[in-house]
Amino acid sequence: MRDDPLLGLIIVFVPFSLISIGGGASIISSMETQVVTARGWLNAPEFLELFAISRAAPGPGVMLATLIGWKVAGWAGAIIASLALFVPSSLLCYGVFRWSNAHRQKRWHRAVREGLAPVGTGLIIAGVISIFQLAGGALSSVLIAFAAAAVLIFLPRIPTLVIIVFGGAVALAICKL
Amino acid sequence: MTADRQHQPLETASLASLFLVCLKIGLLSFGGGLSGWLYQEFVERHKWIDADDFASSLAISQMLPGANVINLVVCMGEQLRGPAGAIAGAFGFLVGPFFAVIGLSALIDRITDAGPLQATLAGVAAAATGLLIVICWHGLRRASRHLSGLAVVAVVAVTVGLLKWPLLAVVACVAPVSIALRWKRKDRSNAG
Repeated sequence: MRDDPLLGLIIVFVPFSLISIGGGASIISSMETQVVTARGWLNAPEFLELFAISRAAPGPGVMLATLIGWKVAGWAGAIIASLALFVPSSLLCYGVFRWSNAHRQKRWHRAVREGLAPVGTGLIIAGVISIFQLAGGALSSVLIAFAAAAVLIFLPRIPTLVIIVFGGAVALAICKL
Repeated sequence: MTADRQHQPLETASLASLFLVCLKIGLLSFGGGLSGWLYQEFVERHKWIDADDFASSLAISQMLPGANVINLVVCMGEQLRGPAGAIAGAFGFLVGPFFAVIGLSALIDRITDAGPLQATLAGVAAAATGLLIVICWHGLRRASRHLSGLAVVAVVAVTVGLLKWPLLAVVACVAPVSIALRWKRKDRSNAG
């Protein structure tokens, strides 16, 4: 009794795509339930390791789905899982944004954009708070983050990647001391 | 009324440059902080999108299902180049990380002492968080032109970030108030 793994990936990830309100982080725990408990594709330590890798690697955190697909069914699994997670939500977002942008010249649209801007800023601050809490509030992480921000604000010509690499180097130096 | 920097004319983006910028961010954004990368490239460096549009697209992206940053790329791609822009941006954005996560996973399977690597990755993630703080800083400066804007930022940051109230409910309550405040202010400035 073995289900087709590719079909299984689609069945698991398409609904996640459409319920992941608030971003990828909101579905991690239910993803674990599905992948580890319900389907038994991975065990819990394997899932945690993939989660850590997807956070460290470049790109959005939900690349976790790509990794799960890869572990379950190789390259085809990775492609299918990625498409199943990204395409449905992207189509929905595209539709909503295009509809609202069609009214761009209208006065209400301007009020909506300007009214949403401080909401977006507040959400980013909330996100930064959550990230610091996830990192266990390690002082070195907080200091590196604020130092990186200060450099970007006062010396905007320095390439972003230099700052990212420097952050990694400082943390490695602290670890070696 | 003060004349704003952000009302400078914006640059136009070609499909190829949109794709390449997204590819670059996808490949280099170790440790996350992707909205911060997008802000640095789309708003600060290339001047394709103004800061208010960026922040409001970000709020829309967070309310809808899906990875926030991919939604954000879809929105900005559509605004710059229509459907082709949305596809070019999203594809460019995802193709690098697709291979990077698989490559990193294969690499870590071979390493026995992962301690220094994990410390480095934590530092990278911290610096990437710095990119997000830059957005907070610029957003706060723009919001601080009006007391009500600052209040909206504070309410959202505290309820979602500290009190962990559900994001969707908070936005559903705060966004209409914030929009109504803007609308009323426009009324007055039009009349006056």
